[in-house]
Amino acid sequence: MPRLDRLPEASRKGLLALPVQVNDTTPFVRPARPLAAARLALVTTAGLHLRSDRRFGPGEQTFRAIPSDTPAAEILQSHTSIGFDRTAILRDLNVTFPIDRVRELVARGVLGGLVREAYSFMGALREVAKLESESGPEVARRLRDAGADVALLTPT
Amino acid sequence: MLARVLEAHGIATTSISLVREHTEKIKPPRALFVPFPFGHALGRPNDAALQHRVLTAALDLLAAPAGPVLADFPEDAEPGDETPGPVQASAVQAAAAAAGDAVAETKDVLRAHARWLAVHGGRTTFGLSGIAAERFPDVVGFLQRFAETGEGDVAGRAADVSLPAFVRWAADDLKSLYYESRVLSQPAATGAEIARWFWGETAAGHVLRRVRDRLDASEDPRWKAAAFGVAR
Repeated sequence: MPRLDRLPEASRKGLLALPVQVNDTTPFVRPARPLAAARLALVTTAGLHLRSDRRFGPGEQTFRAIPSDTPAAEILQSHTSIGFDRTAILRDLNVTFPIDRVRELVARGVLGGLVREAYSFMGALREVAKLESESGPEVARRLRDAGADVALLTPT
Repeated sequence: MLARVLEAHGIATTSISLVREHTEKIKPPRALFVPFPFGHALGRPNDAALQHRVLTAALDLLAAPAGPVLADFPEDAEPGDETPGPVQASAVQAAAAAAGDAVAETKDVLRAHARWLAVHGGRTTFGLSGIAAERFPDVVGFLQRFAETGEGDVAGRAADVSLPAFVRWAADDLKSLYYESRVLSQPAATGAEIARWFWGETAAGHVLRRVRDRLDASEDPRWKAAAFGVAR
């Protein structure tokens, strides 16, 4: 779901009332390499970060870097909205941040590789101006420097 | 919209979407709508096969010659028996026994949680408040006093964490201890069942309902925001 028609009415109305950016056009680039040769970056809006890193505050438009070899035990989620079921991520980080699945695809040769850092942003942002003008472009620059060809974005 | 920013700066992106109606408006370059609940972007926890099907479907979109691309993941089944939205405290009637001794209960939960840590190699969603787990009986005592008076503090609260933010994270940590302990003893329990147990049967859930009421009674929007994150 949440297919909206199956959500409780209050949740459905709340979601539809959220201000959502409406765009007419879409930036689009073709990947430079086929997947089997491409380096993938994981990017998430789940508010994840290293256990030792600064927690996200609500609405914060900054990012955190997570080294791709970080053990799951060292990753925390400070996006803790009670609008989603946290028992999924407490059972398995991959349900939000599929780091083990991506490593398996690299091992099988489906993907060329994984870049050295993943990036994480806070979820449920209402204001995104700084993300669009500062933190987003900064992550894009870091990803290019790290040799990323493609990025997979996951929500929570 | 983060995907649009990355793409505009030269990185080809593919995204997982949980709200199709929003994705249709935002128009990211490539998105896979999945019919799963919030918190379940890749499908089901510990279901590597389903997670791989979702991942592969999202990566396949990178072969599209032009965009925007908004595809639907073909598996319409609900993951397990999960309800579409999370169960909130307001939907659960608290049992009379839930008004019991929350401090003693938390001590029991801590013993169970030590087993969770041993089984899961130390992985836990606990840790946001910055207070060690063994001090949580004291933290629960603080939360009880806070619920009654709106005052109090915990030694070791970081100087840059405001009191309402600390209360919110202490509540999150308390939930983590309880939820993980419950998953350990009831591995087949759904998220909805665990939420109903916490809000309906535990003294900690009773304390957090009262903490929520105390926060929500404030005129300060930061306190009200914290209340919204503790219980609804």
